[in-house]
Amino acid sequence: MMKFIKRFYLGLILFFLYVPIVVLIVQSFNAGKSRANWEGFSLRWYQELFSDAAIMQALYVTLAIAVLAAIISTILGTLAAIGIHAMKKRPQSLMMTLTNIPMTMPDIVTGISLMLLFIFTKVERGFGTMLLAHITFDTPYVILSVLPKLKQMNKHSYEAALDLGATPTYALFHVILPEIMPGVITGAMLAFTMSLDDFTVSYFTTSPLVQNLSTLIYSQARKGIKPTMNALSALMFVSLLGLLLIVNRRSKKADDLH
Amino acid sequence: MEEQRLITLENICKEYDGVTVLNNINLYIRKKEFVTLLGPSGCGKTTTLRIIGGFESPDSGRVMFDGKDISALPPYKRPVNTVFQKYALFPHLNVADNIAFGLKLKKTPKDEIARKVDKMLDLVNLSGYGKRSVDSLSGGQQQRIAIARALVNAPEVLLLDEPLGALDLKLRKEMQLELKSMQQRLGITFLYVTHDQEEALTMSDTVVVMRGGHIYQIGTPKSIYDEPKNAFVADFIGESNIFPGTMVRDELVHFCGTDFPCVDAGFGEDKPVDVVVRPEDILLVGEDVGQVTGVVKSVLFKGVHYEMMIDAGHSTWKVHSTSMQPEGSRVGLAVVPFNIHIMHPMKEEAGE
Amino acid sequence: MNNLQIPAWGVWAMLGGLAAFIAMLVIYFKRNHGLKRPIFASPYTLWMILFTVLPCILIAYYAFTDTNGQFTLDNFKNFWDSNYDMNKELIAMGFNPAEMGFSRGTVNVDTLTYSLWMAFLCTLICLVLGYPAAHIMADREFKLGATLVILFVIPMWMNFLLRTIAWMSLLEDTGLINQVLGWLGIPPVQLMYNSGAVLLGMVYNYLPFMVFPIYNVLNKMDYKLSEAAMDLGCNKWKTFYKVTLPLSIPGVVSGITMVFMPAVTTFFIPRMLGGGSTEMFGDLIERTFLTANNWNVGSALSLIMMVLILLSLGLLRKTDPEGEGGSMI
Repeated sequence: MMKFIKRFYLGLILFFLYVPIVVLIVQSFNAGKSRANWEGFSLRWYQELFSDAAIMQALYVTLAIAVLAAIISTILGTLAAIGIHAMKKRPQSLMMTLTNIPMTMPDIVTGISLMLLFIFTKVERGFGTMLLAHITFDTPYVILSVLPKLKQMNKHSYEAALDLGATPTYALFHVILPEIMPGVITGAMLAFTMSLDDFTVSYFTTSPLVQNLSTLIYSQARKGIKPTMNALSALMFVSLLGLLLIVNRRSKKADDLH
Repeated sequence: MEEQRLITLENICKEYDGVTVLNNINLYIRKKEFVTLLGPSGCGKTTTLRIIGGFESPDSGRVMFDGKDISALPPYKRPVNTVFQKYALFPHLNVADNIAFGLKLKKTPKDEIARKVDKMLDLVNLSGYGKRSVDSLSGGQQQRIAIARALVNAPEVLLLDEPLGALDLKLRKEMQLELKSMQQRLGITFLYVTHDQEEALTMSDTVVVMRGGHIYQIGTPKSIYDEPKNAFVADFIGESNIFPGTMVRDELVHFCGTDFPCVDAGFGEDKPVDVVVRPEDILLVGEDVGQVTGVVKSVLFKGVHYEMMIDAGHSTWKVHSTSMQPEGSRVGLAVVPFNIHIMHPMKEEAGE
Repeated sequence: MNNLQIPAWGVWAMLGGLAAFIAMLVIYFKRNHGLKRPIFASPYTLWMILFTVLPCILIAYYAFTDTNGQFTLDNFKNFWDSNYDMNKELIAMGFNPAEMGFSRGTVNVDTLTYSLWMAFLCTLICLVLGYPAAHIMADREFKLGATLVILFVIPMWMNFLLRTIAWMSLLEDTGLINQVLGWLGIPPVQLMYNSGAVLLGMVYNYLPFMVFPIYNVLNKMDYKLSEAAMDLGCNKWKTFYKVTLPLSIPGVVSGITMVFMPAVTTFFIPRMLGGGSTEMFGDLIERTFLTANNWNVGSALSLIMMVLILLSLGLLRKTDPEGEGGSMI
C-alpha cells in the first residue's frame, strides 16, 4: 500500500511536469491556428516550418551559439579545472569564489551587467556578444563537473606517467585527460544544454537583428506563438530524446564489454 | 666498494612551508642492493624517495646517479622507475596497455612490446590477464601489475613507496618473499619505503632508519636489530625495554637499582646512558638467583611465547618466554652481559 | 545570414587570448617540467575578470552615479521612493509635493516585497513537493531512481518559454481545463492573470532544481547510517528526522538556493501568466533598463538584488560550508 502511494505520488509529479509538453506536441499537429480548439490532425506546421526564414535563422543562431559556446567553454573550463586543482589552498578558494559568482548571480543581473559592458565598450551587440556571454555562464558548469573527477583521480597517476618516461604534455593528453573525460563530457553537455535553453542572458546581450529561438519566441509571445514554433520544438525535443536513447544504449554496450 | 655506488644523496635538505622535512641527508645505494628506508610516518622517507624519482626537488644538496648529477633532470629522463603507494594504474587502459605505457613512449617496435609485456605478465604470475580492465583486478593483482609496469622498462633502480601497504597480512607476507626473489633474479637495485619494521628486516640488505628528517642508523637488518645505536632505533625495531642508567666504568652499568656486568666500553665513568634489553633476552630464574626480582603483573599468550609484564619496584620489565609464570608469582630476572646494549642517551632534536 | 556579425575585436580578443595562452603554456612546460599547473587557470581567470568582475563593477558604477557620471545616492532614493525624481523637480519649480498630495511612492519596495514573498512561497511549495519525491527516488528498494532523474531532466529540453506558454493554453478562459470543467457543467473559472498562475508557473519551472540536489545527497548517503539508527532503537520516523533529515540539509540548502534565486528575478513567467497584472522585481529591472531606459536606477535595483542574494547565500552557506550539496551534476 505504502509502495503504491509512493509510486502514485511520483506519477502525479511527473504528470504535472509533462502536461504542458504533451499539450505543445498535440498543438503542433493541430490543423487550426487556435491554441484551444482542435481542428483536426495535420502536418501543415511541420511543412511550413522549413520555409519560415525567421525560425530557421533563429534555429541556426541557437545551435551555432550552443555548439561554439560548449566547445570553447569546455576547453577553457577543463584547463581551468586542472589549474585550480593544482593550486594551493588560498588561491584555490579565491578561484572557486570567482567561479561561483556567475553561478549564484541571477540571470537577469548577468545579462544586464554584460549588456552594460558591451554598451560601455561600444561593442555592437549581436552574435559575437551573445557567444561571449554564453561562454561566460557555461564555463563554471564545466569547471564544477571536471573538478570532482580530478579530485577522484589517483594523485600519483600523473607522476606515474612521468616516471614511465612521458613528457608532461604527453601525460596531460594521455593520462589526465582520459581519466577526467567523463567529467569533461558532462560539462560539455551541461554547457550545451544551458546555452540551448537560455533566454534571459541572450535577451540582453544580442540585438533584435540576431535572434535565437528564445528571444524570437519572446518577441512573438504577445502576438501569439505561431504553431510552427511548436512544431520546431517538438522536433528538437524528439531528436534530443533520440540522442539520449542512443547514448544510453552505447554506454550500456560499453559497460557490457568491460 | 666506492665504484659500486649507484645513487648518492649529498646533503639533501627539504622544507615545506617552513617545516623541515629532510635535514642534511647523506646516503649511498650500491648496485643490486635492496635498501629500505624505514621510519614512522612523517620521517621523510617518502620525500627522499620522491626526490630520487624526480617528483620533488631538494632545496639544497645533490642527487648523483652513477657519478652524474641528476638533480635537475625531470622524472621522465631519469633511469629509475617507481611503484606508487596506491599503484596509480591508469584506469582508462587495460592491463597490457598499462604495462606497455613506458615501452610505447620509447618507440619500441610493436612485436617487441607484445613479447616483453607477456614476459612481464608471466613474471608476476598474471599470464593471460592482458586484456582485462584494471578495475576488475584484486588489490594484490593490481600490485603485481604496478610492479610489472615499472620493471618492464628495465630500470637500473626500482623505487617502491609502501607498495604492500594496502594488502592484507597474508598477501603481504607472500609478496614480500616474491619481491625479494624477483630482485635477486633480475639483479635490479631496489629502494623500498616502509613503516613496517618486520618487512624491512625480512627483505632488505641494508636498512636506513629515519626519523624527523634525520637518518638515525644505517646497517644490515641484523646489526640494526642487535646493535641499535640509540633508544629510538631500539624501540622502533622490535620490542625493547629501555632504562635510563649510569655507566659505572667500562663493562659495568648501573640501572634498575643494580649493577650489571656488560660488554660495552668507552662511555666514560659515571656517565648517563640508555640501556636496552630485548624482552626475549631476559631470563626468568629463581627468585634467589635473579639480578632483579619482581612480581608478574600480567600474562599474555602471543602464539609462540608468553609476554609477561614484571613489576620490579621502580621499573617494569617486558619479558618474552616460552615458559609461563602465573600472575602474582615472584620471579628473578637475569640478563647475560652480551645482551645488554648501552647507548648514548638521546638528544631530542629541536623542532621535532 | 549577413547580419551574423561577430565584431572584429571579439574574434581577435579570443584568438589572441588563446595564442598567448598556448605560448605561456609552452614556455612554462619547458621551464618547470610542467610539474606545477596552476597556470592553466590563467586564461579562465582573465576571462572571468573581463566578463564577470568588470561587468559587476560597471553595475556598481552606474548605481552610484547620475547620468552625468557624478556620484549620487539618488538611484537608491528612487528605489525607496519612486516619486523621488518627480518630487525633486517639483521642489525645484517651487512647489511643495507634500501639499500637493504626493507622498512617498512605494511601488519599488512593494514589488521587491512581493517578489520575495512569491519566491518564498515557490521555494516552500517546491520543498514540500520535492523532498518526498527525492526521498522516494533515493530509496534503496526503489530501483528506478536513476531513470526518474532523467525523466525529470527531459522536460527541460523543451524551451522554457514555450513550456510556460503551454500552461497558458491550459489555463486560459477557453483553455483545456475550463473546457473540461465546461463538460462537467461547471462555469469557467478565471485561472490566469493572477498570482496563483504565476506561482504555478514558477513551481513548474523550478521544481526539478529542488529535487536533484536533495536526491543526490540522499542517494549518496550511506544506508548503513539509517540501519545503525534503527539498530540503536529509532523507529522509522525517528530515523528520518534524527538521521536522514539532518544529513540531507546540504541538499536542501542547495535546492533552496537554486529555486529561490531564479524565482525572485524571473520576469518572463509573471509577464506571461500574470499578464502584467502583477509585477515582480525581474520585470521592474528589465523595464527600468529597456523601457524607461534609466540605467542608473536599473543598476541600483540590480545591485540591491545582488546584495540581497549574496547575503542570503552567505547565510545558507553557513549550514553547508563544504558546498557538498551544491551540485545538480
